[in-house]
Amino acid sequence: MNKTRASILTLALAGALATAPAWAQNVKVAYLVGITGPIAGMAPTMVQSMKFAAEQVNAQGGIGNGGKIDPQVYDSGCNPQLATDAATKAVNVNGVIGMVGPSCSGPVIAVANSVTVPAGVLLITSSGTSPKISTLDDKDLVFRTVASDDYQGRALARTLKARGTDKVAVTYLNNDYGLGLAEAFSDEFKKLGGTVTASRAHEDKKASYRSDLAELAKGGADTLVVFAYGNSSGLTIVRQALENGFFKNFVGADGMRDENMIKTLGAENLKTFLVSAPAGATGAGFEKFSKDFKAAGGDPNGTFAATSYDAAFLMALAIEKAGGDKAKLSQALREVATAPGEPILPGEWTKAKQLIAEGKDIDYKGAAGDHEFDANGDVPGDYILYKVSGNTFAEIERMK
Amino acid sequence: MASIGLINYATFMGTMIGIYGILALGLNVQWGVTGLFNAGIAGFFAVGAYLSALLTAPPSPERIMGWELPVLVGWLGAMAGAALIAWPIGRVCLRFRSDYLAIATIGVAEVIRLVLRTEETLSGGARGITGVPRPFGGLEYSLSQFAYFALVIAVLLMVYWALERQLTAPWGRMMKAIRDNEQAAAAMGKDVERRRLESFVLGAAIMGLAGALYVHFMRAITPEAIDPMIATFLVWIMLILGGSGNNRGAILGAVIIWLIWSMSEFITDQLPADVATQAKYVRVFLIGLMLQLILRFRPEGLLPEESVQRTSHLAPPRS
Repeated sequence: MNKTRASILTLALAGALATAPAWAQNVKVAYLVGITGPIAGMAPTMVQSMKFAAEQVNAQGGIGNGGKIDPQVYDSGCNPQLATDAATKAVNVNGVIGMVGPSCSGPVIAVANSVTVPAGVLLITSSGTSPKISTLDDKDLVFRTVASDDYQGRALARTLKARGTDKVAVTYLNNDYGLGLAEAFSDEFKKLGGTVTASRAHEDKKASYRSDLAELAKGGADTLVVFAYGNSSGLTIVRQALENGFFKNFVGADGMRDENMIKTLGAENLKTFLVSAPAGATGAGFEKFSKDFKAAGGDPNGTFAATSYDAAFLMALAIEKAGGDKAKLSQALREVATAPGEPILPGEWTKAKQLIAEGKDIDYKGAAGDHEFDANGDVPGDYILYKVSGNTFAEIERMK
Repeated sequence: MASIGLINYATFMGTMIGIYGILALGLNVQWGVTGLFNAGIAGFFAVGAYLSALLTAPPSPERIMGWELPVLVGWLGAMAGAALIAWPIGRVCLRFRSDYLAIATIGVAEVIRLVLRTEETLSGGARGITGVPRPFGGLEYSLSQFAYFALVIAVLLMVYWALERQLTAPWGRMMKAIRDNEQAAAAMGKDVERRRLESFVLGAAIMGLAGALYVHFMRAITPEAIDPMIATFLVWIMLILGGSGNNRGAILGAVIIWLIWSMSEFITDQLPADVATQAKYVRVFLIGLMLQLILRFRPEGLLPEESVQRTSHLAPPRS
């Protein structure tokens, strides 16, 4: 065993020496993304937008007095074993002071529990949506720029109720996305005095959902809430419900906001179709990010692109505010991200740096939302209700 | 600071190696010694992990149990639970020849994974179980990790010692006889089916223990952790590389594979930034390449089985 330990140390030492910083003023930040594994398709855009944030920071004056953000990209594999291993390397061998990521909720929980929280490292995830992340015992070191699945479901329930719907049937895709939304929605809807006549999970990619729909329709509700994807089971369900007249009104969440729905079913058939989606894609912050990121060759509409950018940019702001002091990072993050303060849009690093140097309070208005963190380090999420208009979706109201 | 960091990293790796070493030892009982092709390691790992979590974690309104029992009870429960699950599976599946057994066990592991993923009241569903206690978890980061590392290594050595005893005993030689020539063993009056079931259940219990050690290390379990790539095939590669049939080989395989898996990232990070992202896949490739080379040039593994030398001084079994 001694020999093994010795060789482990030697190898680790070799690794550490090889990656020693160019100069001491640079600040190392880990970008932990699921490069291999189930979300490999989304990872390149996420890494690109995180790196893009670091490039903007470095091009506009960097950190402190001439230092740079030195991003260290690690692979979390969307898997807790790999993610904790990578996080341990990042924190202990490369000495990062903050971590953006990991991707996927399970790795976030494992990494926070066993690496970053015990080691006192700030973690901002851009893609972990599980409600469990809110309740971690995290010493205020775990934040996220993506809203918990919980919020959208609740916001949708409140909005529907306020618009006068009292009775709904719910069907959801049987995965953590569908389940999380359906649970939060039903809970909130019942609390407000509404009736959920039936709630059924469905499996993806079936040819017919008529028997599911018949069961759902039994309760007498004329509104069907579908938490699924509009290019898959969601489309089939709405089509078959229309064909057979099971329901009159249809409501979906962001997964259903798919223009493919309108193309396939026709706008004239979807007059009673409402969807909610995160507001990120409309604000001034997103427009600026979108323009800059496109110019740099990125896809601003890629899944988690905006949230990943915000996580990386917020991390840089927090480091600047805290003067590179690891222990003050989480406090600094709250100060730079939340109101009051001078608004900062994505990419406005020079302005932010100057204001911080003058000791003024700033408030980052990001690409994916305003990021007003609550006590759990969650963002409330800003959602908009859309209806079908012509060949696209038109905003009806902002949901609260 | 830097040296403490390296020690932290080394203890983390040591702990993971310990856990994977125990998994590989469990597989060695089934495959190395008895010739049972179990491709459902992840299933038994999951049963152990979830059961230990349920026994020791605080209660939660959305799922059952959460009894906050001592961690040791969780570990014993995990072993018993994995053994209990393995028993009926073994009864049904062990009649199959090796490759059919592999298919059946993959199926069983997938069933376990999907049940844990969907049965919210049982396992927390896709969100998993959090708040699982870690022994010495209250200590400061490095100390807590080091204490847990020591505990895992102690368990690994205990499992190793117990298996060595069991395999050098007549039981072990009988199992190898069954593996090498089933008909001959049956002709000698050995109850082949029952003995294979014993071995299957014992191996599964050890895998369950590894699952329990894992869940208390991470303090949480979600379905992503029981991905077959990480929890089944990596263990197979470890055993084949180290030398199936040899307990020390199983541990050596775990050490080597985990070191390569973890440390190759330092090397790929030296590549230019343009390809560094793609280079993360090199790790997967390296492991595959090693397996190919080992199977081509040293199919018996780095530390081959050594039963003849080690037991030849003992008298042949009387039965």
